[in-house]
Amino acid sequence: MAAVLKVENLKKTYGSGRLAVEALKGIDLTVNAGDLVALLGPSGSGKTTLLLCVSLILEPTAGKISLDGETLFDHGWQNVDIRQVRLQKIGFIFQARNLIPFLTAMENVILPLDLMGVERAEAVRRARELLEYMEISERADYLPALMSGGEQQRVAIARALAGSPKLVLADEPTGALDSVRGMKVMELLKSIAREKQTAVICVTHDERMIEGFDSIFRLKDGQIMLDT
Amino acid sequence: MDLAIRDIRQHLGRFLATVVGIGLLFAIVLSMNGIYRGFVFEGLSLINITDPDLWVVERYRGGPINEQSILPEFFHYSVAAIPGVEKASPFILYPVERYVAGKSRRFTIIGYDVFTGLGGPKKLAAGRPITQAHYEAVAHENLSLRLGENFRLGLHTYTVVGLTKEGTSPDGEPLLYLSLPDAQEVIFLPDNEEVRNQRLRVYQSLVRPGFFSPQEAEKYLSRDAIDTHRINAVLVRLAPGAQAQEVARSIRDYLYLSVFTTPEQIDIMFKGRLNRPRMQLYLFRILLLIVCVVIIAMVVFTLTMEKIRSIAVMKLIGSPNRVIIRLIMEQSILLTACSYLIGWIIIHNTHQLWPRLVLLTPGDDLTTLGLALVGGIIASLLGIWKALKTPPALALGEQ
Ligand SMILES: Nc1ncnc2c1ncn2[C@@H]1O[C@H](COP(=O)(O)OP(=O)(O)OP(=O)(O)O)[C@@H](O)[C@H]1O
Ligand SMILES: [Mg+2]
Repeated sequence: MAAVLKVENLKKTYGSGRLAVEALKGIDLTVNAGDLVALLGPSGSGKTTLLLCVSLILEPTAGKISLDGETLFDHGWQNVDIRQVRLQKIGFIFQARNLIPFLTAMENVILPLDLMGVERAEAVRRARELLEYMEISERADYLPALMSGGEQQRVAIARALAGSPKLVLADEPTGALDSVRGMKVMELLKSIAREKQTAVICVTHDERMIEGFDSIFRLKDGQIMLDT
Repeated sequence: MDLAIRDIRQHLGRFLATVVGIGLLFAIVLSMNGIYRGFVFEGLSLINITDPDLWVVERYRGGPINEQSILPEFFHYSVAAIPGVEKASPFILYPVERYVAGKSRRFTIIGYDVFTGLGGPKKLAAGRPITQAHYEAVAHENLSLRLGENFRLGLHTYTVVGLTKEGTSPDGEPLLYLSLPDAQEVIFLPDNEEVRNQRLRVYQSLVRPGFFSPQEAEKYLSRDAIDTHRINAVLVRLAPGAQAQEVARSIRDYLYLSVFTTPEQIDIMFKGRLNRPRMQLYLFRILLLIVCVVIIAMVVFTLTMEKIRSIAVMKLIGSPNRVIIRLIMEQSILLTACSYLIGWIIIHNTHQLWPRLVLLTPGDDLTTLGLALVGGIIASLLGIWKALKTPPALALGEQ
């Protein structure tokens, strides 16, 4: 199976000198298409840092990152348009307040398509389809403030999937939800990995949520302890 | 998808309130333009309406409007004798405050030679020009006199034969045209009581031992009539083909008087009497515009800070900078344009109610709009700078 994401010996040090924090100390990670990966670890272990590096928001200190066969970072940014990569190949879901408050659910899903230059009618069609898939189409014209946390997260997943990304990164997507709604969101993440062959990396604190994942990485002090 | 409009739509009420507030400020900026233009227009109005080829005034004086100038009336005969002069006509003006049409009013009396017409009203809104040597008047509408009305001024009663709409004194007061001798009398002749007192004072100073006997003093006093034959300027209409500067030089050299063309007269007023108030108004205009831009900048900055998290989310998704710049700049321009429009509507519907002329010109309106839009763009820079500096990772924060 083709590797969607390949991370080799990735290091990230915040600050310098006496204040330096070694958040990642040489991470090796390979994720294939359709893989559902859980990233577990105590607070401060470097989970968010790893996601930020993989999503090209943070510049790693050393190492190599390849996405979809393209080397993006190899001890320095390679000559690629990072924003375009992020727009087209990566989808994001984070803990809370994912959505843009002045756009309706529908418009939130259309936004990345709009940025990609997808034609309006096509964008609307695709957004409606995704909202239906997330079982939230009846809230299409609601502003985020009028939706529950779980509904907002489902719209956020729809938005993350809008551009048919190769990789979806989720940083504690269920962190702000009660367990029933959290389970529901996790089920949806699982189904997109299965049905759309999208690789999903999901950071979580909650061991109960990771049932049925393909692999589980445990992070501690910037290192992967164990993978199953 | 227009993000700017969608964001505004969500806080429509607040946006409208802000627009009305800044709109009022723009109304003041635009009124300031009008006040400035009105001030200059009224300041030069009398010169523009009188409009002779040459103004002849007392030597070394920048008169008769920017500065006082007094000449004996007969000087106009000497001026008329200079080659190149077709007509030379006496002219007098004097601001007064008199009881007219039931009220004490400020106005300026203009006396001119009603037979040459030089210095008289240019355009009449009603009635006819003065045709008789005495007791006729042409009044500015603002004096509230009606056509055919008789009114008392000084020692005599005058009839309003014509009304004008145009022309005011440099202070914006209405004009009252009289024939030269009538005007001289109103301006220079004291009332009868004052004449008697004056004669008594002179009489008492003359009748003293070793000076005049009472009979001699009486004889002397009868010759001491008050001289009203003074004027402020001689207005010249040049003969066809005559060179203004040449004629002016002749008058200066032969008659020892100062001479100005109408453009020179305008220049003297502009740089003289009107100068400082004009500068003051101009400065105020600029300051107001700056205040507007600063307030817009603050509002746009606040709007941007309120959605800084949304901006971080957009960056995280992969929005190019231009999308974010457009969002902020569009809101700034929208805010500026809507406020300007409100201000424009307000002032164009109320300017006629102001006590002095507020002269609104399309040129000023457009220049202000242009400057305001440029200001709006500059105002958005602070917000844009802040937005571009925002790290996308902010979107992952829990707050
Ligand atoms: N911007 C930063 N500057 C300096 N140090 C940082 C920064 N961000 C994170 N760190 C440090 O890097 C380490 C890893 O942080 P990270 O946010 O990746 O942890 P995490 O596993 O996501 O924790 P949590 O479960 O609490 O979200 C921590 O020690 C943290 O203090
Ligand atoms: Mg974290």
